[in-house]
Amino acid sequence: MTQQPLIGQEAIKTDSLESLQQNILKEIEHFKSFSNRGLWAVSLFLLVSMTAWSDFPFLDLPDSVLTALGKPPSSQSISMLLLIYTFSAIMLSLSRMMAGIEHKSSFVHVGYLTGFYLFYHFARALDDNYWAVFGAGMTILAVESYRIWTFCSEKIIKKKEDLEFVRKTGRPPLED
Amino acid sequence: MFKTLAGRALVPVGIAVTGFVIVCYLLLYSAVKNEVNRDAVQHATNLADTILKSTRYTMLKDDRETLNTVVFNIGEQKGVEHVRIFNKKGIVNLSAKREEVNQQVDKKEEGCITCHRGDVPITTLGSMQQARIFKNANNKEVMAITAPIYNEPECYNAACHFHPPAQKVLGILDIGLAQDSLHKTLATIRNLMIVFSLMTLILTVGGVSALLRRSVFLPMRQLSEYITEEKNAAAGHLTQPPRLPQDIDKIATSYYNLRLKLSKSDQELNELRKDKAKPE
Repeated sequence: MTQQPLIGQEAIKTDSLESLQQNILKEIEHFKSFSNRGLWAVSLFLLVSMTAWSDFPFLDLPDSVLTALGKPPSSQSISMLLLIYTFSAIMLSLSRMMAGIEHKSSFVHVGYLTGFYLFYHFARALDDNYWAVFGAGMTILAVESYRIWTFCSEKIIKKKEDLEFVRKTGRPPLED
Repeated sequence: MFKTLAGRALVPVGIAVTGFVIVCYLLLYSAVKNEVNRDAVQHATNLADTILKSTRYTMLKDDRETLNTVVFNIGEQKGVEHVRIFNKKGIVNLSAKREEVNQQVDKKEEGCITCHRGDVPITTLGSMQQARIFKNANNKEVMAITAPIYNEPECYNAACHFHPPAQKVLGILDIGLAQDSLHKTLATIRNLMIVFSLMTLILTVGGVSALLRRSVFLPMRQLSEYITEEKNAAAGHLTQPPRLPQDIDKIATSYYNLRLKLSKSDQELNELRKDKAKPE
């Protein structure tokens, strides 16, 4: 009479352990794919940079855009903004690295940097400032990639330890 | 490299500082280059204006001999590659190079195409647009300025010669200046900035590395070595930890105290075992 529920509880416990292990494995997979996010962002930025190098062939000529939108900001203003943006982005990334925060910001930076390329292009100052945007992009994305990669590596190690703990003890891992 | 404490601490700092210094260098050099170029254009424009103003009276008097001498003398100056005045039809009237006189200027040339792109040539341009940079026949980089000689009441009302009032431009003064000195100045600025950036980089990354090594990595290594040595030390053979910075010293002292207590407990346990094993 009393054996039936015990077998049932055992089965439920085994099922929950199985699902717990599956969840941890899924999380490990998630962190593995997330760690490549920085590299994808760098690849996308390189693609945008190659297009900028050939003066955005698919875009209208600056003249027609300037007629529609008006006078662009001066190249000095854009450069000043690029400098402030680079400084802020690096500081933000280093702060996130220090705090160990999971933040998916890499692709946003590619968007901002594309904006800088476009502003310089329409201000007819891309030739003089191309390498500055490229350098800023590579620096920001390298720091971001490193941050994401170290964050994911630490998480993967932690999850593998949790998995080992679950397999050995049959209990859920201790919370941090 | 990425697994060690030194690697983890120095790689992001190294990337961030190096990248930021490079971006600053590129932006600063671009800004300086723009300023130097703008100054050069301004200087050339002022020179063209000076020539036009100083020859205005001679032109009104139609004194070709004096005009020829002035243009020739300006052309003899160091850094002046060419000086010529041509009329609306593009025929060179005066030039520092005698062989150019009475020759037709090619409107499709780099210097002329800016105004002559359309059917009707442009008659007014900003000073930056008047300047153009190209390589001349001697393969020398030249910055040339074209200054239009506008028709004024004194010109079409003058008794000596007549220009119709409807004619807006009477001719063009074209002056070309060698870019050698400008390139030399820019190269000096560039080299100085590279040296300055490299020094900043070395000082920053080197300083951070040295400080981290002195304050963190070296004490951590000492602590690690101390723990390895003490790990298998027998009871009674434990040594005091080395002198370390405050935070790391706390860890070392805690480890030493823990090992001391453990050894004492081991000793007590062994004595108890021995007592128990003795026959009563």
